[in-house]
Amino acid sequence: MKKLIPATGVTPAEPADDGTSRRQFLAGGAGAAAGAAIAVASSKVGSVVTAGHGAAAEPAPTLTKPSGPPPREPVTAYVRDPHRGEVTVLSGQKETTYRDPVLVKRLLDAAK
Amino acid sequence: MSSHREAPEVSKDPVVDNTDTYAFVSPDNPKTVTIISNYLPAEIPAGGPTFFEFGDDVQYSIYIDNDRDGMAEIEYQFSFESRITNPDTFLYNNGQIKSLTDEHWNKRQFYSVTRVDSKGTKVLAEGLPCPPCNIGPRSIPNYAKLEAEAVRSLPGGQTVFAGQRRDPFFVDIGSIFDLADLRPIQNLHLIPTLPGPGVDTLQTLNCHSIVIQIPISALTANGSVPTEISSPNAVLGVWAGASRRKMRIRDKPNDEASEAGPWVQVSRLGNPLFNEVLVPMARKDEWNSVEPSDDGDFLEYVRHPELAKLLTELYPGRFPNLEGIKAARADLVAIFLTGFPAGVVPPFQSASKKGVLADMLRLNVAVPPASKPNALGFLGGDLAGWPNGRRVADDVTNIALKAVAGATYPLVEKKYKPDAAVEAVEQGITPGAGRSQSTFPYVTTPHDGYDFPSAAK
Repeated sequence: MKKLIPATGVTPAEPADDGTSRRQFLAGGAGAAAGAAIAVASSKVGSVVTAGHGAAAEPAPTLTKPSGPPPREPVTAYVRDPHRGEVTVLSGQKETTYRDPVLVKRLLDAAK
Repeated sequence: MSSHREAPEVSKDPVVDNTDTYAFVSPDNPKTVTIISNYLPAEIPAGGPTFFEFGDDVQYSIYIDNDRDGMAEIEYQFSFESRITNPDTFLYNNGQIKSLTDEHWNKRQFYSVTRVDSKGTKVLAEGLPCPPCNIGPRSIPNYAKLEAEAVRSLPGGQTVFAGQRRDPFFVDIGSIFDLADLRPIQNLHLIPTLPGPGVDTLQTLNCHSIVIQIPISALTANGSVPTEISSPNAVLGVWAGASRRKMRIRDKPNDEASEAGPWVQVSRLGNPLFNEVLVPMARKDEWNSVEPSDDGDFLEYVRHPELAKLLTELYPGRFPNLEGIKAARADLVAIFLTGFPAGVVPPFQSASKKGVLADMLRLNVAVPPASKPNALGFLGGDLAGWPNGRRVADDVTNIALKAVAGATYPLVEKKYKPDAAVEAVEQGITPGAGRSQSTFPYVTTPHDGYDFPSAAK
């Protein structure tokens, strides 16, 4: 890794500190502000994600047409490892990977 | 070629394809170092209607290691922005371009320069103009005026230029990748034909260059201008790279690119020919994505280069001594990955710290520019040329070919005698006038699209 170069080489496990936390993302706060885009690796493995983490208590997603083009700097998430419930969130130049089976299950459900 | 289309991914993404990197003590301003990184391989000058330009969605970087650890202490970042001034014309220009602000010039590109170091991130300049591509004599009657206008001063005595240039690299790519044929000695090849002169494949093609001249005192670890070749502070490691954002969303109604995530390196280049000739095809993309400090993973390809084996097989009986080398090629490891410790090529030294294996140009800035440069650099007795940094006119292909063929092995094994054929190993190319120049930006006026290619064969 290069050193003293803050513009590149973000550590994957580095927690977000720019206001775009996982909880904000999950709640739609960051997504609503910046326009969240979601990339899902596979919908065939959704069943392996652990159920019963409270997802049932949350409102089901509503199908809608995009209200406009994606923003220039969208908050983006993708399922990195459905078996481990890993989701990676890209925001600005930050990349953060969380273990969040609930969010992963919601994403995989949305991909069905 | 040095690094033109050298890896599968960058061969399909020319704006990030770093073709050559140069670093040398400026011959006309020896208290500065000039660094050049070239992109966009094999630009045909007649590139209309959408002439070539840098990628707006690419971060171009030049890295400097000033404490010999194989990692960057200084980074210069270059970011580009294209603008269309007349949305109603299909043309690049709808009249003559006589200045960089000429209203007839429709598709323009501007850039910013940022320096990142231990003090932080500092934007040195924004909105700097690139010159137009060299369309032809009707469109641009005085290209020299425009390219001169595009040379800009930066704070701290720095100078910068970014734009189209004639590709300065010279190589016979057609023969070298035809089973390592060298036309002047192809009568000795396993599949022989009559010998002939080399063909300068890039002779009539352009590229895009980023050129920056920086005071040596702004690059060394202690702010000095070293005059002693033996000084550790005299050695700078230099490489260049290009990065793209990790995520890109294509969306029809969106004119602007939607991108997210950190910059991800997709191309880099320190020494010429490293990824091109030493790294196997299956790992070239990987090599482009990692840092020089990770190059220990590629050590075996330098210690036992495939090309040396090919030379012995494709020129049967001509390289018996080379064939006899079973030990690791410590001479090539020094050229590409570690630099030379003191005492190997007196009075020169360029070694990184012990254990560092990193492909970088290593420039000892205490070696003054040569009054009569020899294109063969070290092999020609000129310590101001490659592998001490790299000058624009250095014949790095011949140097590397001869080195791999055994010319530099006596540096580490005194008893070794290079094969007689090493003397004959060459491409047979002498670059014509105008391929480089002795003043900034050292890379020359691009070929124009009207005259190149020419109707005359």
